[in-house]
Amino acid sequence: MLMIKAENLFFSYTGSSPYVLDGIDLEIRDGEYVSVVGENGSGKSTLMRLILNFIKPTSGSIVPQTKRIGYVPQKNDFSNSSFPITVYEVLNSYRRLLKIKNKDIITEALEQVGLLSVKGSLMGTLSGGQSQKIRIARALMGNPDLLILDEPSTGVDIGSQKEIYSFLKKINKENGITVVSVEHNLNAAISNSTLIYHLTCGQGHLCTPQQYTDEFMKNGGKSNDNIQL
Amino acid sequence: MTIFNYSFMQNAIFVSVFISILCPCIGIFLVLRRYSMIGDTLAHASLAGVTIGLLLNQNPILGAFVFTSICGALIEFLRSYFKKYTDLILTIVLSLSVGTAITIISSGKLHVNADSFMFGSILTVTHFDMIMVLILSVISVLTLILLYHQMVYIAYDEEAAKVAGVKVRLINYIFSILVASAISVSIRIVGVLVLSSMIALPVATALQLGKGFKLTLVFSIVFSVIDIMLGLFISYYLNVAPGGFTALISVAVLVFVLLAKKLQSSIRTARCK
Ligand SMILES: Nc1ncnc2c1ncn2[C@@H]1O[C@H](COP(=O)(O)OP(=O)(O)O)[C@@H](O)[C@H]1O
Ligand SMILES: [Mg+2]
Repeated sequence: MLMIKAENLFFSYTGSSPYVLDGIDLEIRDGEYVSVVGENGSGKSTLMRLILNFIKPTSGSIVPQTKRIGYVPQKNDFSNSSFPITVYEVLNSYRRLLKIKNKDIITEALEQVGLLSVKGSLMGTLSGGQSQKIRIARALMGNPDLLILDEPSTGVDIGSQKEIYSFLKKINKENGITVVSVEHNLNAAISNSTLIYHLTCGQGHLCTPQQYTDEFMKNGGKSNDNIQL
Repeated sequence: MTIFNYSFMQNAIFVSVFISILCPCIGIFLVLRRYSMIGDTLAHASLAGVTIGLLLNQNPILGAFVFTSICGALIEFLRSYFKKYTDLILTIVLSLSVGTAITIISSGKLHVNADSFMFGSILTVTHFDMIMVLILSVISVLTLILLYHQMVYIAYDEEAAKVAGVKVRLINYIFSILVASAISVSIRIVGVLVLSSMIALPVATALQLGKGFKLTLVFSIVFSVIDIMLGLFISYYLNVAPGGFTALISVAVLVFVLLAKKLQSSIRTARCK
């Protein structure tokens, strides 16, 4: 079954050339774990926003085949630590937005990522790893078929990164949730995902991690930055 | 006879209760979204609304509410055209408002004095004002309760809100009407010039306590009640405009909380040594 289908997709923020995405065709089947890689500004986040229907294609189409989508946005300076909100409030308000009646879902979400103990804490007092896990737990509250993450390891210590990636792998394998994750961390992309989607110059290309590694070696390792094999 | 026996004072207290609840309720969202200046701009818009209302022989608070709502919606609308230039939009709306107000006031066509709306006054609250304040306040508070979780999320994480199906643009429009409502309710007593301090300062003070969202909101209301009630009574005894004195008290309360926090943390470090 298909999960995401893009056909002849063009997108530019100005409505005319140059296009950030310049004729993309993409099919992602359900059950895959796809890492989206590419240099800064290559349009990875833009592609995610198109899947989420935050922005509309300039031409062509991109359609997720499910309505149940979880999203872990890219952390920016605005997801600031000074916002006065507790972990409980973050999850409880989200529960209300999703119109879920049962309050137990908050405890379940926290248990899933092993953070029941921080339920009453302020979000701003958590470590980068802890807050990212809360954001993932929140995205899973709606019981999604498709989970989209934008650079989930940004600002997360190495230990928590490992936990997060093995958690993503687990929900992908055991719960069959399709994962699409924008990665600047190439090691994570290669060792966790089933497919890699490489965006460059507005064009994309889907391959297995093995193919990606081979191609990368052929190019003498200059196409991307921090890889250690 | 105490001051409570004066009916003008009873009216003023009645309206002040609603001001002190409504202002921090919308203030917390404005402050956390870094939109405090929108409060200031809309406060000036309300002055234009007052003068238009007086010119047309309508209730000035009604005039303020209608005109400020239109300006709030205009800001929201222009925002999609000047995405990265919110301050430019505010300047446009400010020019429109202040221009209108000055033109009408200086024309000499008003048979009432508009000064009291600049500085605030406790003597001028009419019966009809009180009815307007009551209606606007009740509707606003009910709307805020209904949209609470959606507004929290738009402020905290707009993209996550969108994915959860929140109609962000619609709620932003509704919110600008709520801001207009809070401002219209407040101008009689607080006055245009210091309105933005009533919106921002109690929230700024509550933020110092480092609590979650709901508690921060509750403390904002507590500080707001303290600021406005003290401002009202002391300004009465000093025979000065309540707006100015309320603003001074809200700064004083903020400074007091900051100092208390500083003291507490230095006691803590001293203990650790
Ligand atoms: N809201 C926006 N308006 C205009 N241009 C944008 C916007 N967001 C991103 N861009 C531009 O589009 C390009 C792709 O950005 P983005 O998708 O964020 O890249 P990535 O996530 O791969 O780093 C960049 O050149 C960026 O400057
Ligand atoms: Mg990005």
